[in-house]
Amino acid sequence: MGSRYLGRKLAQAAVTIFAIVLLNFVLFRMMPGSPERVLLRNPYLTPEKVAEVRKEWGLDDPLLPISISLDPPSVAINAENQLFAYIRATLTGDLGYSLKFRGASVVDVIGQRFWPTIILIGFGEVLSIVLGLALGAYAGWRRGSLGDRLGSGISLILYSMPYFVIGMPLLLIFASALGWFPTSGMLTVGATYSSPIDQLLDFFRHLVLPLATITLGLTGGYSILMRSSIVETRSEDYVQTARAKGLSDRRVLRVHAFPNALLPMVTIIAISLGYVVAGAITLEVVFNWPGLGTLTVDALAARDYPVLQGIFLLLSVTVVLANLGADLVYGVLDPRVRS
Amino acid sequence: MSATTSPTSPVLPTGSSLRAERWRLRARNARAFGARYVRRGDGVVGLAILLVFAVLAIAPSVFVGPLETATTATGASLEPPSAAHIFGTDELGRDILNLTVHGARVSMTIGLLATLITVVFGALIGIVAGFLGGSTDNVLMRFTDFFLVLPTFVLAIILAPVILDIVGTDAELFGIRATLLVIVIVIGLTSWATTARIIRSQTLSIRERMYVDRARVIGSGSAHIMRRHILPNVVNLIVAQAVLTFATAVFTETSLSFIGLGDPFAPSWGQILESAQSAGAPGLGAWWYIVPPATCVVLVVLSFTLVGNALDDILNPKSATRR
Repeated sequence: MGSRYLGRKLAQAAVTIFAIVLLNFVLFRMMPGSPERVLLRNPYLTPEKVAEVRKEWGLDDPLLPISISLDPPSVAINAENQLFAYIRATLTGDLGYSLKFRGASVVDVIGQRFWPTIILIGFGEVLSIVLGLALGAYAGWRRGSLGDRLGSGISLILYSMPYFVIGMPLLLIFASALGWFPTSGMLTVGATYSSPIDQLLDFFRHLVLPLATITLGLTGGYSILMRSSIVETRSEDYVQTARAKGLSDRRVLRVHAFPNALLPMVTIIAISLGYVVAGAITLEVVFNWPGLGTLTVDALAARDYPVLQGIFLLLSVTVVLANLGADLVYGVLDPRVRS
Repeated sequence: MSATTSPTSPVLPTGSSLRAERWRLRARNARAFGARYVRRGDGVVGLAILLVFAVLAIAPSVFVGPLETATTATGASLEPPSAAHIFGTDELGRDILNLTVHGARVSMTIGLLATLITVVFGALIGIVAGFLGGSTDNVLMRFTDFFLVLPTFVLAIILAPVILDIVGTDAELFGIRATLLVIVIVIGLTSWATTARIIRSQTLSIRERMYVDRARVIGSGSAHIMRRHILPNVVNLIVAQAVLTFATAVFTETSLSFIGLGDPFAPSWGQILESAQSAGAPGLGAWWYIVPPATCVVLVVLSFTLVGNALDDILNPKSATRR
């Protein structure tokens, strides 16, 4: 891969992440009385801790590295300032202290809720990529057939549903009416397990409905995009050539059309990660899944800004890195984009 | 249309007949567009559904009476559907049909306002960046790309309470409460980037046309050319994009209300679903509390998508779904 392409993509990602940190700083300072109010009204922090944090975040220093005054006209350069202190704190993993969680550090609070969400989104992505691409490829290849009409129709309907709108009916039918699955949580509350296998089974029983929801939601979108990608590829010269050679229909699809139609999907899947994360937030509320989504909503209700900002930082940096990854993979797969 | 215009005029029309000619052309284009649109079955179905919801949103009280509140509730708590309440009642005894029909007004109003902000802002940035080019384009597009990459829903979640803290929840503008306005602003701020990208790329191609050069030669300024020559040629695209944006705006509003950023005093469909969730309706099997608002959300988002896709296929020269 060309090093210039690599360098440009890396630089873009770095600038974006810097801008996100900057945005977080501005938001944090935009709130009335903040960060003083947010910091000092936190009853769970000892006065010593507050003093230490004040010093660490440079709250007695000027806001920006350069301060301009009009009366008298002067420009001062501040070596110690809140912006640099904030960037330094963020880089060293100091994201502040939660209000709702009794002064626990934001990193710890988020860390505890990280894995449930990763498991949900991870399994959901894998399942829906397989299902969505297969369904989309079939529909696009047999364009206009009954299967295509049916598949595309269902995909479009699923695509129009926020995840919680898919999840609530599933909960009504399979948990409330049929009683096949538990209604909420990740493990049965207060259960004692005779073996780790038992615990794992309990976990999977809780996982089924949320996982089904996220998979259904994502499959709709992926299959629509894969379908149009296949339809586009179908009219390419190399597909015509493959047909003219007398290859079987299956083989033309598998060897010639499918891999090429897959290319744009790499980027699309990475870009859609931002939406998936958003959907997961509402989904976790429906199933009371103890992940980042329920944490976000709890923090929102308690106006726990430090936690909200920590989540925003984590999720947006993840999405930027996913995009960077997709760009690099795309660069390896398709030499045409490097120029 | 007047029938007096000679069908085979040998000379170019001038003066007032030029204006008549222009109207004749417009009417012909509109008829051609109409003929192409009716052939799109899905687009027609979408449009019909949207018309129904538009009527409900304009005059909800005509169909179900004024919005029921906790004090004017007409039933008992969580009653299943009956002749008196065909969709049952919520935990406060309010009629679900009443809430759902009034929800149409809130959801559609927020969707409309958010779409306006998104499209106006997106089109402005797209046209200016595409037409002026150079470093203006560069700066604006870096800015746009930043918003394209950001998980905007998460940004909306942290922006909404910050703005609410600044303006206060009791503020009002044009009779719309601050909570709803904040949702409108937040959706607008976080979703204009796609529109800007699409409009810019179309502007880039129109900029190279002969009539733009001609306008410049006769001394027209940039602002004039953008308004009189670029804008009319991207307006089709803006309309198609606006309809698609409406779908995402309703989608986002529903999600934001569902996680508690809505206004309980002006319930949208997302807000009703939030109440259903916190009243434990899914666990209690109170399907009547969930199905009506959820169906409305899906129908409206789906219809806007269908109409938007149909318009995009007809109006957008670069449409990907054309084939």
